Amino acid sequence: MISTGQTQTYRADDPVLDMDRLIAMANQIGDFFAPYSPARRAEGIRNHLRTYWEPRMREALLKYIDEEGGTRLHDHVISGARALTESGVDRKGYYGPPQA
Amino acid sequence: MANPVKPDHSVVTTCAYCGVGCSFKAESYQGRIVRMIPWKEGKANHGHSCVKGRFAYDYYNHPDRLRTPLIRKSITDPWQEVSWDEAIHYAASEFRRVQDKYGKKSIGAVSSSRCTNEEIFLVQKFVRAVMGNNNIDNCARICHSPTQFGMSATVGWGAASQHFDSILQADVIMVVGANPTEGHPVFGSLMKRRVRQGAKLIVIDPRRTETVDSAHCKASVHLALRPGTNVAVLNSISHVIVREKLYNEPFIRERCEWDEFESWMALIGSDRYAPEVIGPQAGIDPESIMQVARLYAGGPNSAIYYGLGVTEHSQGSTGVMCLGNLALACGMLGREGVGVNPLRGQGNVQGGSCLGSWPHVFSGYRFVTDSDVRSSFENDWGVSLDDEPGLRLPNMFDAALTGHFRGMYIMGEDPVQSDPNQHHVISAMKNMECVVLQDLFLNETSKYAHVILPGSSSLEKDGTFTSAERRVNRVRKVVEPLAGYQDWQIVVKLMNAMGYAAHYNDAGEILDEIARLSPAYKGMSFSLLERVGSAQWPCDENAPEGTEVLHRVKFPRANGRGTFMLTEYVPTLERTNDRYPLLLTTGRILSQYNVGTQTRRTANSRWHPEDVLDINAEDARARGIDDGDWLKISSRFGSTRLRAKLSTHVNPGIVYTTFHHAKSRANVLTSDLSDWATNCPEYKVTAVEVVKIAPETESETAGFQKTATLEETAA
Repeated sequence: MISTGQTQTYRADDPVLDMDRLIAMANQIGDFFAPYSPARRAEGIRNHLRTYWEPRMREALLKYIDEEGGTRLHDHVISGARALTESGVDRKGYYGPPQA
Repeated sequence: MANPVKPDHSVVTTCAYCGVGCSFKAESYQGRIVRMIPWKEGKANHGHSCVKGRFAYDYYNHPDRLRTPLIRKSITDPWQEVSWDEAIHYAASEFRRVQDKYGKKSIGAVSSSRCTNEEIFLVQKFVRAVMGNNNIDNCARICHSPTQFGMSATVGWGAASQHFDSILQADVIMVVGANPTEGHPVFGSLMKRRVRQGAKLIVIDPRRTETVDSAHCKASVHLALRPGTNVAVLNSISHVIVREKLYNEPFIRERCEWDEFESWMALIGSDRYAPEVIGPQAGIDPESIMQVARLYAGGPNSAIYYGLGVTEHSQGSTGVMCLGNLALACGMLGREGVGVNPLRGQGNVQGGSCLGSWPHVFSGYRFVTDSDVRSSFENDWGVSLDDEPGLRLPNMFDAALTGHFRGMYIMGEDPVQSDPNQHHVISAMKNMECVVLQDLFLNETSKYAHVILPGSSSLEKDGTFTSAERRVNRVRKVVEPLAGYQDWQIVVKLMNAMGYAAHYNDAGEILDEIARLSPAYKGMSFSLLERVGSAQWPCDENAPEGTEVLHRVKFPRANGRGTFMLTEYVPTLERTNDRYPLLLTTGRILSQYNVGTQTRRTANSRWHPEDVLDINAEDARARGIDDGDWLKISSRFGSTRLRAKLSTHVNPGIVYTTFHHAKSRANVLTSDLSDWATNCPEYKVTAVEVVKIAPETESETAGFQKTATLEETAA
């Protein structure tokens, strides 16, 4: 938990946030949208990640899904994250219930 | 010092101590403030005040005040006093050096809700237009960010629906996770007046606060729920409203999205939210949940006031949505005496929220991803802007630990003391190469800073604050800035030094820019405020002197309708077990303000010389603890020590403390869990264990003394 700071080396292509933290955050978002129907669930997650997550956080999550199968993510979080690339044209965020 | 009979100067200004926004006539004599007189024309306080606003102003002139800029190459070097020019130049060149080495997104800023609208707006402009990214956050992140999210989702705007005086029309007042008689005293008095006139008071709070039971205030119902069960209990209240058909169908059909209401009913109506199920989980009598539902739905005017006891949870945003859903379902919006109203802790949290001090939105909660909105700013500022959300404050610290974030401009904040999981924050601070701190005093964060810029207090500057009732009040300079500059002037210097030509003759010109770029502030100007005193946003051609009550005709959503969000209860991961069997929750006290940087440096400290741990007699007895004993409090994240105070205000299983003193180090204990939507920290629930420590073992805790040194100078 406690990093000493000075001695560590960092790589520019490391995830911007610790992967465990990103996974926990993504699953928490998934928990919120879980009561919606599958299509709305995925859209709610997509909209949230698109409007609130810094792009490098989204990229790290997608990379984790592509390269490691996203095994520690809820299934509907994977669908929501994948929708980021599928519906990337729709870049406008919105408030309120998932629009699907 | 004795009050001189005749002050030689006075101005009317706004108190910065909480979100009520009281007006005071500040009187000075030969350049020193001699008294603060509550101003009768103040539309929030009508001549009333509290013990902070009236008396706790001496901090501005305290010997600890920073008067000269300081720099150092490394946090292990001693500070070096330098000129303003040298400090600004050093900060600017370091920020550029860090960006050249680690990329444009490797730096960012956090602004403070103790600063003016103009300063908050300028800091986000500095980040977006000069640093060239959206890594801008505000301390509202760690208190009311879920308000913005949860209220925007349901009613359209993350702001109080009412003006404070509206409470005098309320028949039922529901206070959730707030203690207005201590935290928002002048509003608390107004509430008590209404309760004495016969309004019913519902309090939902783990503690038996002064709001629940004191000389002039008795709650009709108190739900002393277990910390962390807000959403379950609010859902259960809604369950009763659905089960007993207490909702306002005509209002919902006319003003809301009916389909979303039906989905909501299906979820909330489930047996798992029946009071008979939730009551035992939350440690409260099911009958009292039903009583609350019937009282609230019955009104006829029911108003909700809530605080950080709702927001600072892993389901903080969900909790706010529960309140929005509830008010919509019962038709308690759009007129006097009703509404959903966040009580804000600092003078300008509302301003911090609505003026674009967030990584994902411009002023007016408009997304940075929206090209139309973005181009309005690009045209005004003459630069192209980042079209992606930036890092939130906790994510900046996270990214510092992975080496991606290396520099930070901090205006009027002390994240090391006030942010959760202190060890984590300190490690992150140590990883940064350029931390520029602008503040009144050296604080916990200054130990990790490279540049210190002496800031000015709200008594030394011009501008505006937006109070919790959306009221834009003038802040007027009472005395000259001690170190020479108002905070907004320092931001302009930094912008210029980093190559962006910004110039304002006075803070009023910044407000003009805010008005030009933010629809809800369109009509705001110093001249308007000079004429009418204060005005609540939205203020535009339709409401030239502002708006007291929101949502009278429609909600500020695309289709004009309020909507319902599905608010499933997801218990927090922070749980008690054999090792950490107690739940710690936190709050504040009347005479002190937040981390105490200001109030600790005034005579108000005599009322509250130290933070203590409230513990129920039963828990104390089981651990052999007497009143006044020293305790070691440990969580999964760290440990600290406080004195015990045996209290009937908390139920068995729950302990409580305030966080006004740095030496208490309450945030050594708090977890890294946060709200699912906004990353607002879960300050209100930490599993802990408490053991008595003998006074002679104090050497064991020698580490604590070090951090306390700074504070000792402040007596």
